[in-house]
Amino acid sequence: MELLKVSNLDVYYGNIHALRGVSLHVDEGEIVSLIGANGAGKTTLMSAIVNQIPSAGGEVCFMGSSIRGKKTAQIVREGMTLVPEGRCVFPRSSVEDNLLLGAYFRKDKAEIKKDINHIYEMFPRLLERKKQLAGTLSGGEQQMLAMARALMGRPRMLLMDEPSMGLAPIIVDQVFDTIVEINRSGTTVLLVEQNANQALRIARRGYVIETGQIVLEDEASRLMKNEQVREAYLGA
Amino acid sequence: MLPYSALLKREKSMTVFIQQIINGLAQGGIYALIAIGWTTVFGIVGIMNWTHGEVYMLGAYVGYFLTTSAGFSLFPALLISMAAGAVIAMLIDQIGYVPLRKNGTIVQSGFITALGLSTFLRYSANAGFTASPRVYPELLQYRLITLFSAGGTEITINSIHFMILIGTVIIMVILQLFFSRTIIGKAMLAGSQDMKTLALMGADAEVLIKVTFAISGALGAAAGFFMGTLYTIFPTMGALAGLKGWACAILGGIGSITGSLVGGILIGIAENLTSGLISTGYKDAISFIIMILVLLIRPTGLMGYKFEEKV
Repeated sequence: MELLKVSNLDVYYGNIHALRGVSLHVDEGEIVSLIGANGAGKTTLMSAIVNQIPSAGGEVCFMGSSIRGKKTAQIVREGMTLVPEGRCVFPRSSVEDNLLLGAYFRKDKAEIKKDINHIYEMFPRLLERKKQLAGTLSGGEQQMLAMARALMGRPRMLLMDEPSMGLAPIIVDQVFDTIVEINRSGTTVLLVEQNANQALRIARRGYVIETGQIVLEDEASRLMKNEQVREAYLGA
Repeated sequence: MLPYSALLKREKSMTVFIQQIINGLAQGGIYALIAIGWTTVFGIVGIMNWTHGEVYMLGAYVGYFLTTSAGFSLFPALLISMAAGAVIAMLIDQIGYVPLRKNGTIVQSGFITALGLSTFLRYSANAGFTASPRVYPELLQYRLITLFSAGGTEITINSIHFMILIGTVIIMVILQLFFSRTIIGKAMLAGSQDMKTLALMGADAEVLIKVTFAISGALGAAAGFFMGTLYTIFPTMGALAGLKGWACAILGGIGSITGSLVGGILIGIAENLTSGLISTGYKDAISFIIMILVLLIRPTGLMGYKFEEKV
């Protein structure tokens, strides 16, 4: 089943045509990776899907109905959320408060408590630091917290914008392992990455974006063997 | 060895000093209430809400009419004034700021809109209530409560100051519990850090902004009410008090509620010490002198936060 479908999406920053008729789709249960260079429009696409920035034309459908023009908060309540670039934890709130805020719109208190305990099992570091302010965590821990916080809303679909940005290589491995784990427990993932190697390794399918346009679309394993991709993104 | 008379004098000046500090506490509590109203709106909505002094003034007038014509006693009058302040502040937001947020010009036009609204409210009050000052009836019997005695001199606090202090402390405790225990309070604190990310939590910004204005208005009205129990009230009273509240918020660190409390108390005390030890002529200037010094020396204020980005 097609969970997310983006068709012919156009985004402008003033006169700059940042996204030119972008189309992609993500099926339920998949991990799909979108790779591209700095400034290719990856973050713009993610922000436009959840309507943090307005799109000028095209269509975004989630679970079969249009969400283009809906408020970000509404889209999140309907089951799709974004782990933003740069993590964006609330630095002056405690780790636990960050997690509780992830469940802000949920009313099932007992279930929220269960989910928090589950998160603490999954990320023991967060349990150790639950009273600490999130701003005092290391970059890797903040990334874990940002993902955990998104999970607290029980999303069906998770968008992730550059989760490996600025992290040490060993932490990057952990982050990607966690994404696989999240996906296995039933959350569909659209991942945007500069780290094309890792992103394609865990994905089923992939897209390549260049200057606001999708230029390639294929099975992730085939993209990894593609000459152009290897040269431009995999450092071969 | 000092002669006995000089010792006595020094002792006396010490007790005068302590007494001035205690006299400043009530005034400081009032400033703190105003300052928190400023800082919450600035932190969450991102505007300098210049109408805040006017909400304070209107709160004082609501309290005045409740305790005179309507014959309410102290506590019901205080609570109703606070509720009225909350409603007035939400109306100000709805009429003044919501249209600007809708068309995305709040950053450019928020400030001048606030100034215009503030002037409009101030002089409407002047026309409606007349410019002549009014006096609250005696809501609490005035008497001196002895706190302790120092060197044979009794340090006292009067019952009205005491009531204001207790009232301020109770309001602060409730506010602190609201921010630390309720999910809406936590969301407001988070919103003051990063409104864009808060939307990703599924939180409706408009609802949180309305709650913010309601809290700010209730605190401003409480401050106005307390001021009315101390001094006469008049339609332009919000101008100076609003500015002083802003100075307290800067001293404490914009965005920090505890900071506003500390800033308010410190400036209240500083004003009393200034008028008691230097001259009453400098009383109104001292808060702004402090504000300018804070901005020069430590712009984040006493309790402002600064986090470095971690990798």
